[in-house]
Amino acid sequence: MEQVTRRKFIGTAGFAAAGAAMGPWVRRAAAQSGPVKIGLVLPYSGVYAVLGESITQGMELVFARENWTVAGRKIEMIKEDDEMQPPVGIRKTEKLIDSDKVDILTGPVHSGILMGMRDKVHNSKTILIVSNAGADAISRERCSRWIFRTSFSNWQPNQPMGEWVAKNVAKDVFIAAPNYQAGKDQLGAFKETFVPAGGKLVGEDYPKLGETDYAPYLTKIRQSGAKAVYCFFSGSDAVNFVKQYDQFGLKQSIKLTGAGFLTEPDVLPAQGKSALGVITGHFYTPLLDNPTNQRFVKEFQAKFGGKMPDGFACQGYDTAEVIVRALKSVNGNTQDKARLVEVIEKSEFDSPRGRFRFDPKTHNVIQPYIYIREVKEVAGGLNNVPIDRVANVTDPGTGCTLPA
Amino acid sequence: MTGLRLAAFALVVVALALFPFGAGNYPVKLLQEILIMGIFAMSLDLLMGYTGMVSFGHSAFFGLGGYVAALALSKSPGLMSALVLPALAAGLAALVIGFFSIRVSGVYFIMLTLAFSQMFFAYTFQVSWLGAEDGLVGIPRPRVPGWDLGSLRGFHAYLLALVTLTALGLWRLVRSPFGHVLRGIHDNEARMEALGYPVDRYKLLAFVIAGVIAGVAGSLYTQFNGSITPDAFYWKTSGEALLMVIIGGTGTLGGAMLGAAAFILLQSLVSTYTERWMLILGATFILFVLFAPGGIVGALRGRIGLRA
Amino acid sequence: MPADLFAQALNGLAYGVLLFLLSVGLTLIFGMLDVVNLAHGSFYMLGAYAGLSLIAATGNFWLALLAAPLAVGLIGALIERSCLRPLYRRPPLDQVLLTFGFIYLFEDLVKWIWGGRIRSIPPPDLFAGSVSLGGAIIPSYRLFVIVFGLVMAVLLYLLIERTRLGAVIRAGVFDAEMTAGMGINIHRVFTAVFAFGAALGGLSGVIAGPIQSAFPSMGVTILIPALIVVVVGGLGSLKGSLIGSLIIGQAETFGKAWLPEAAMLIIYVVMAGIVLIRPQGLFGRPLK
Repeated sequence: MEQVTRRKFIGTAGFAAAGAAMGPWVRRAAAQSGPVKIGLVLPYSGVYAVLGESITQGMELVFARENWTVAGRKIEMIKEDDEMQPPVGIRKTEKLIDSDKVDILTGPVHSGILMGMRDKVHNSKTILIVSNAGADAISRERCSRWIFRTSFSNWQPNQPMGEWVAKNVAKDVFIAAPNYQAGKDQLGAFKETFVPAGGKLVGEDYPKLGETDYAPYLTKIRQSGAKAVYCFFSGSDAVNFVKQYDQFGLKQSIKLTGAGFLTEPDVLPAQGKSALGVITGHFYTPLLDNPTNQRFVKEFQAKFGGKMPDGFACQGYDTAEVIVRALKSVNGNTQDKARLVEVIEKSEFDSPRGRFRFDPKTHNVIQPYIYIREVKEVAGGLNNVPIDRVANVTDPGTGCTLPA
Repeated sequence: MTGLRLAAFALVVVALALFPFGAGNYPVKLLQEILIMGIFAMSLDLLMGYTGMVSFGHSAFFGLGGYVAALALSKSPGLMSALVLPALAAGLAALVIGFFSIRVSGVYFIMLTLAFSQMFFAYTFQVSWLGAEDGLVGIPRPRVPGWDLGSLRGFHAYLLALVTLTALGLWRLVRSPFGHVLRGIHDNEARMEALGYPVDRYKLLAFVIAGVIAGVAGSLYTQFNGSITPDAFYWKTSGEALLMVIIGGTGTLGGAMLGAAAFILLQSLVSTYTERWMLILGATFILFVLFAPGGIVGALRGRIGLRA
Repeated sequence: MPADLFAQALNGLAYGVLLFLLSVGLTLIFGMLDVVNLAHGSFYMLGAYAGLSLIAATGNFWLALLAAPLAVGLIGALIERSCLRPLYRRPPLDQVLLTFGFIYLFEDLVKWIWGGRIRSIPPPDLFAGSVSLGGAIIPSYRLFVIVFGLVMAVLLYLLIERTRLGAVIRAGVFDAEMTAGMGINIHRVFTAVFAFGAALGGLSGVIAGPIQSAFPSMGVTILIPALIVVVVGGLGSLKGSLIGSLIIGQAETFGKAWLPEAAMLIIYVVMAGIVLIRPQGLFGRPLK
């Protein structure tokens, strides 16, 4: 009788102990059986919808490759159109965090929306992976342990160009950007290395954002005696500036250079031959010859009807890669956010742009290279051909103290 | 107010107050946004519907209230910063802008008010001390003793109280002798002049009152979002308020709130389901104009047979 | 220095002429029909896109220049007959809502059909390069725009001042009831004027295309400058539209060149100034 009782006791106790140890696991497993919700705050209407689409397509490429499943859980993308307007973007962000309870948030394109959502994301401890907006502040004084950026900081494409342009193009340069903070920041980064490399600014102009007629500025550029122009324009501004630059006959005598957005695939078709010979700096071009990129371009074109991937698609791709790899590392456990953040911080993989890593000090991507590219006619049309590169471009992260 | 209408109004307020207890965060936030834009639109209705002054620059006061609140709350988060300062700033601006704009009328008034609000927009968009195009972020909610405005329900009660008071105030204003003079001016300005009323002074006063309320709305908007951007000054903000008034029914006050609800719900909900939300919005306006000329209130009155 | 000034003055002239072509349709509609046609920017946009497709299909800029305005004019006529006519008796605010609705509608429609990406419209081969004129270098297409615009101004003047149709229009602008009372089918005239204004808007879209490209929000972008020119020149005045746009063209251009920080503001300051000093605009009918 005693024997049976002791065995029974040990058996029961053992069973109870095992049950107690298993308990939390059972609970966690239940929470992890639902889909992993990835929120996207991007523009799906308006002129910037093309960027929103490219980023989304880059992400879809990765998720489709994984069959929309990771660590046994389905991946669910919840897309919200922020219309490139901060109040709408903030509203949609709150919806994704409060109503949809997304596990990971991604986006936005607009830096104003990013700055507006930053506190909400930080205070609610929601993991945000910035897939475009380049506001330097997010990697500097407004950084957060919950916020990562796979795209770029406005500083990164421009800072190496300063020295490169001074050494390889000309020392008398006229610079221009739209009249808003992002524009001024980008040119500021250029000036950081341009002037010490012996460059001389013969002129500096900030046309209004959304300007359609650059004639007065182009005339000023011609009259300034500049040998080259360095500028930051994107979207329709880039199209109009480059086209009018050519129409005014400036390209022959004054070399046009700029931040990569000037000649990205979203604007290149509209610019046409006017863009030939324009030199820009960017972390990506579809013509990169590393194996990951070649596969990326092939798969992207196959999946999206021959569309040429651009930097934005690469940003989306890298965002999704970070998510998928991190989720695999934690076995799909999205409840333990601190652990997820730790794992994301250590992300390292082969991206179409090169070896991808985050800077643990700022959670901003370290650009493996900033490529200097020239627009040339290649098989398939106009494209940005890499002609040089600068390695390991890391944002200075001034004022960022992590964990914050 | 007649007993029946008072009861109906009270019922609505109570329902709105109880809303956060049943609904999720996102719907409550939508409701709060509607309330804020609603009083912005109501202040415009005072100008448009009652005094007959169509302003396309009303966002000037909305944005000014928003920015003053943002700057003041960052320094000292109290009700003074949240309500008094923005109202004063907006009122002062309305006094100056109104003084110049009231010299003209019709299309010229529309364009002049537009010009002033665009000047505000251009300035705030470019200067870095106001955050340039990103605006000001990280604005704390005002601290009121015994009341947690940081919580969803706390803010809801605060907002609802203010909106209700403003709505009641406006309602009483349009039914007062002053309101009757305004309507007289709307109907026939020359006759009011002939009767000896200093028409310009009445118009200016209406403009300032509308400006003050718009400023309070702007301040509430900053408190709601915790941020403010130059878009608050943009002509589209004025245009949307215009649309809200017209959709709801010009000259009805309540219509402005309904119009705000219709517009915001349309914009938020439709865009979640389809990319073609602009098409639907545009078609809705067109159909409204052609088939529901009195706006929502006009259509409702037709059904229920209520009188003004 | 004089060469610099001349170059910028030429830029200002080209821009001013573009503004004129855009605003003349708007001012006619304003003056004649008393209609606040916010959708005028949409006609400009539709013209640019129609031109884009026609050039893509036929490779002929001149054909597009002729056909696109006709297409836009037709759309204008349809809108006037179906949606606008019932609203003449109603408060002007209803027209605001209606035309605002069309802004949203057309912008999304264009995005649906042509996509949201910005599209380039090539100038005709004849004017693809740049020329030197008095020490200034200007794209030859802009020179063409200047000449075309001024010729259009003369033609419009002759049409309105020297033809019977023009007399009818002027009468209608001045007093629609009287004109109807004289037995003229005022409804048909209204439709024709609206369609004509729309066609002019569409024409300006095609002309502006090679300079400013085509994008779905271009109608909204151009609306404010157009309204400003109309107000400055005076509602319903052809002369006002021309002089007003030339003045604003120069103000904007030299403002951008000399006072870049104020570039966004200039157009508003000029307008505010003129409205305050002379509310009816430069050549509008005196108010009250």
